[in-house]
Amino acid sequence: MHKDCDKTYFKKPEFYRLTGENNYVRIDAEDKVTGHGQYVGDIMFPDMLTGKMLRAPFAPARIVSIDISEAEKLPGVKCILTPFNCEWKHKVGNGEFAKEFADKEVLCTEIVRQVGDDVCAVAAIDEETAQMAIDLIKVEYEKLPGVYDPFEAMEEGAPEVNWEGKGLRNIGMQSHMCAGTDIDEEFGNAAYVQHRDYSAHRMVHAAMEPHGAVATYRNGEYTIWMSTQMAYVDQFWYARCLGVPENHVRVIKPLVGGGFGGKLDSYSFGLCAARMAQITGRPVRMILTREEVFQSTRNRHPIYMHIDTAFAADGEMLAKKCYHVLDGGPYGGSGVAACAQATLWANFPYKLRSVDFTARRVYTNNPSAGAMRGYTACQVHFAHDLNMQYAADQMGIDPVEFRKRSAAEPGYVAPAGLTITSCAYKETLDTAAKEIGWYEKKDNMAEGEGIGFAGTGFVSGTGFAVLEAPNQSSACVTVRLNKRGMATLYIGSHDIGQGSDTVMTAIVAEELGLPMDMVKTFMSDTYLTPWDSGSYGSRVTFLAGNAARRAAVDAKRQLFEVIAPMWGVMPETLECLEGKVISKEKAELQMPIGDAMFKYMTVKGGDELVGIGSYYHRTDNSQYNGENTTNYAPAYSFSTGAAHVHVDKETGVIDIDEFVFAHDCGRALNRRAVEGQLEGSIGMGLGYAIYEHNITKEGKILNPNFRDYRLPTALDMPKMRTFYDFAPDAEGPLGAKEAGEGSAAPVAPALANAVNMATGVYFTELPLDPEHIWRALNGMKDDRNSK
Amino acid sequence: MVLPQFEYLAPTTLEEASKLLLEHGDRAKAMAGATDLIPPMRDKAFTVDYLVDLKKIPGLDYLEYDEEEGLKIGALTTLREIEHSPIVKEKNPALAYSAKVVASTQIRAKGTLVGNICNASPSCDNGPNTLCQNAKILVYGPNGERTIMAEDFFVGVKKTALQPGEIVTGVVFPPLAANESAAYIKHAVRKAMDLAIIGVAVKIKVEDGICKDAKIALGAVATTPIRAPKAEEALIGTALTEEDIVKASVEAMNACNPISDIRASKEYRKDMIRVFTKRAIKQAMEKL
Amino acid sequence: MAHKSMISLIINGDPVDAIVKDNLTLLDFLRDQLFLTGTKKGCEQGECGACTVMIDGKPVNSCCTLAVECDGHEIVTIEGIAKNGELHPIQKQFIDKWAMQCGYCTPGMIMSAKALLDVNPHPTELEIREAIEGNLCRCTGYAKIVEAIQAAAAEMNWEEA
Repeated sequence: MHKDCDKTYFKKPEFYRLTGENNYVRIDAEDKVTGHGQYVGDIMFPDMLTGKMLRAPFAPARIVSIDISEAEKLPGVKCILTPFNCEWKHKVGNGEFAKEFADKEVLCTEIVRQVGDDVCAVAAIDEETAQMAIDLIKVEYEKLPGVYDPFEAMEEGAPEVNWEGKGLRNIGMQSHMCAGTDIDEEFGNAAYVQHRDYSAHRMVHAAMEPHGAVATYRNGEYTIWMSTQMAYVDQFWYARCLGVPENHVRVIKPLVGGGFGGKLDSYSFGLCAARMAQITGRPVRMILTREEVFQSTRNRHPIYMHIDTAFAADGEMLAKKCYHVLDGGPYGGSGVAACAQATLWANFPYKLRSVDFTARRVYTNNPSAGAMRGYTACQVHFAHDLNMQYAADQMGIDPVEFRKRSAAEPGYVAPAGLTITSCAYKETLDTAAKEIGWYEKKDNMAEGEGIGFAGTGFVSGTGFAVLEAPNQSSACVTVRLNKRGMATLYIGSHDIGQGSDTVMTAIVAEELGLPMDMVKTFMSDTYLTPWDSGSYGSRVTFLAGNAARRAAVDAKRQLFEVIAPMWGVMPETLECLEGKVISKEKAELQMPIGDAMFKYMTVKGGDELVGIGSYYHRTDNSQYNGENTTNYAPAYSFSTGAAHVHVDKETGVIDIDEFVFAHDCGRALNRRAVEGQLEGSIGMGLGYAIYEHNITKEGKILNPNFRDYRLPTALDMPKMRTFYDFAPDAEGPLGAKEAGEGSAAPVAPALANAVNMATGVYFTELPLDPEHIWRALNGMKDDRNSK
Repeated sequence: MVLPQFEYLAPTTLEEASKLLLEHGDRAKAMAGATDLIPPMRDKAFTVDYLVDLKKIPGLDYLEYDEEEGLKIGALTTLREIEHSPIVKEKNPALAYSAKVVASTQIRAKGTLVGNICNASPSCDNGPNTLCQNAKILVYGPNGERTIMAEDFFVGVKKTALQPGEIVTGVVFPPLAANESAAYIKHAVRKAMDLAIIGVAVKIKVEDGICKDAKIALGAVATTPIRAPKAEEALIGTALTEEDIVKASVEAMNACNPISDIRASKEYRKDMIRVFTKRAIKQAMEKL
Repeated sequence: MAHKSMISLIINGDPVDAIVKDNLTLLDFLRDQLFLTGTKKGCEQGECGACTVMIDGKPVNSCCTLAVECDGHEIVTIEGIAKNGELHPIQKQFIDKWAMQCGYCTPGMIMSAKALLDVNPHPTELEIREAIEGNLCRCTGYAKIVEAIQAAAAEMNWEEA
């Protein structure tokens, strides 16, 4: 079934039994609470070797020589890969659509570009031996001049980081979005214009499970268990880099202990594990240390943002220009898309007559940045919402009312091509304002007290943006029904903890009227399950959810077409409900689904029933080529965060009385799952706003541990209340939109706006750790953040 | 990451433990909870050939209160036992607090107060209380037993006055008289699992509304926990008015010369000493 | 050659004798020698709590504990708290309240909760949060976890009554 499928057989809300309820549990819950569930580090083979990477201690540097003679002599060492003793057929990049942007060598052959860059790999009988072997490898480096500031990197004469002399210096990616009315005219006629600068810092995903891979090589084929968000994209890169056809690479995603975008790149360690499995003939397990995860995987882009905005006298936003400079580190990968996205978010969640947005992703020798929960939405919304708050205050308009004047609405089509379907942004503003007690408290604030709001919008189901290329961006699902009416569900989408396997199961169970335990789900295995491009861009619920629904409906339709003639009714008058096929018109016509399937197989000469479904978002590739005016997603989510704080002006400590979160996710498919996403978003957003900061010096992260990189603890979390009952989206699966990614964006700006109110200082940089606030209150510059 | 290799030794008497530490010198370390040893060993911050575990030595796990001598804490008494002890909460709540704010529940279930001070980290949470309450450190060594006063115990970053072969067997906090009160405040970014940006411990003695004695000790602002004598002088003899307290807190600020590091700058640390000295004095006054 | 020791201990109620390298942590001993992989490795620095187990009833980070230190002691891991095929009330409530997402912190979180409820059957919300202060969760914001532990306490008290 394609996108414009016949919706005749879609179940109507009055027959929903699972949707919006909490009457089932996660399908992986018992595995997780008993410790029986297998993450990649729990997978073991009797003759398994342990792998370790040798990483660059500083960067940039030229590799002068590598001497492995001592390491080779160490008993128990089974394989050592150097850039010179094994050949890789390709560099690694983002998706297939952007293979020409691939810019990361599996092992650096000449230059190491970032601290922790991949130089050698070892496989040994155990971790201790592998570690000792790494210590015995002698690498001679010649230090090269590096650049750690994106503005310096763009200057004439700056060291070339990973740039082959094309276009502007050290710019890996540049995006422009320009549309609407004459922007100079809009600025010229505006009642109020402002020019502001903001910056956001480097943060890491810090999924609790470190990245890892286990690889085997048998029967001439590779199998890799990978902590990944995109097994099929891994399959593509593994095949390409190892120089084998894709049908020799099976990637299986076991349980994944959190991703947040950090497991969206194909990393060298997994490729080396695969290669060493092939060379040694033994399984190889490679699990990164926490320090490696910090230094050598990916992080959230630091972004420097300049914003010019024009407003009408009544506060309506007319036009906006912005210039975003992203510190990308030396490699592209999942960071490539970040650049275009950084212009996209500047639209949201408002109506604008005219936009002129530019973003540049600059190569530096800092740790590589990539996708992280919202791509760049958290940074961009931080700046752009603070920009709105500042304008509201300057114009003397209530901040909630001010945001509502320009708020996006259902059916709005932006000059940049974005097409809003359902949109409850204004309702989220009203809900948040009411629940935080804004109108009672706004004129009675104590010293050091403040309330802040932030409104944001996000894509619900984007994809690799390629002109009409569903084969690269779709989500596919297959459902099989057996003669007992048990369904087997094959999904390509990746549950990395958010619960999507459960949601897919529930959607299929809902459409087929089956209890949850009559649906058996198989997921994320490139040999077994159908194609899905991965967990990113808030695409899973919307795209894979729709695909799952379509697969179930496809199965249902085929079943009805056999049963209906037996009952002398039309197939579309049947429905699956509570384990039975029923007639919606004649109550006496009903039959257990198992019996119906038994009849189906009789009629069809023994065939089991298979339903297929897929979904993709129709867009074009203008994000990367041309005007960048396109509709990025089939739907958009909207949120308002509201923070009520007290700031201790002597110490800079923020005490959060409450955080209220209103999120328009269409119809919540499972209330607890949605709440969990929103509460988790507040947690991560607080980390971003106050606690977490990767401090680097010459590209080296100085706090690559949870002692000094501070994730909020249970004691640091404020009282939270979440609201999410807004109108269903017509296109969303059973009415749903995304609930876990865009929701991270309003947290930091809401807090910052509350702190601004509490202190009277307009903060423009993150994080708002106590010393940062103390410095601002004492009129001191905060230059602690070394580049 | 696998720990570097070492040999684990588990003596069952103090004499045996002392001999082992003396014999192996710098190549050995004494260990109790190990929570401050294993992470840096993994980071290769130091290496040893021997870890001498004291946990099999009987008689080092005690927590007693004596009206004469005060609170006696054994070398193997965990921070968790101290934090939850009703007698510590009653007789020395400042110490119950400084025990409770170390790292996490799990670390405190294993880590000991003696280990916390022997590790002698500048930000060690129990250092300022030990110093300002004039605790006695009980030591067993090759020449028998001796007592080191807290003010002589901390010598430098991760350095104590312990001589080769010496082991701390316990620490004694003198009793707080009815007119005495103590407080400790830790300032950190997170409410748990964090290292102190600064810490301030205060002990005051008040008679008829006049401060007869004051001790103030500061953490994380020097190579060791330090006293702030001028701040103490600024309080003694006063009625502890707001003005007196402010004066003392400024003196405390002037007494320290901290470093800037990834956790905080020198300027911030200094000013926080001022703020939290003030607050700690007030907290101590409230408890009188 | 690496120094080794012979240890005898009780793990989840069963006697275990083993020869361990002196530098082997309890975490690696459980995972690699006994294949008890429910105890997770998140940071190896005592800072995330994913490796929390109970030693003699107390919650500790198994990454900061040597296997050899555990000689003569009693260890309980996540694999040891369900009894006779029935999940522990904390496990049941974690399932019921959707108190996990990725699940990687869950075993450690449950062990910390069990260590609390074993000694304090009526904890306040603050006491629950303090009990899990050393268990980082990146997914949930802790709200549902706290709720599940509260519910488990109530269920256990109900059973006792």
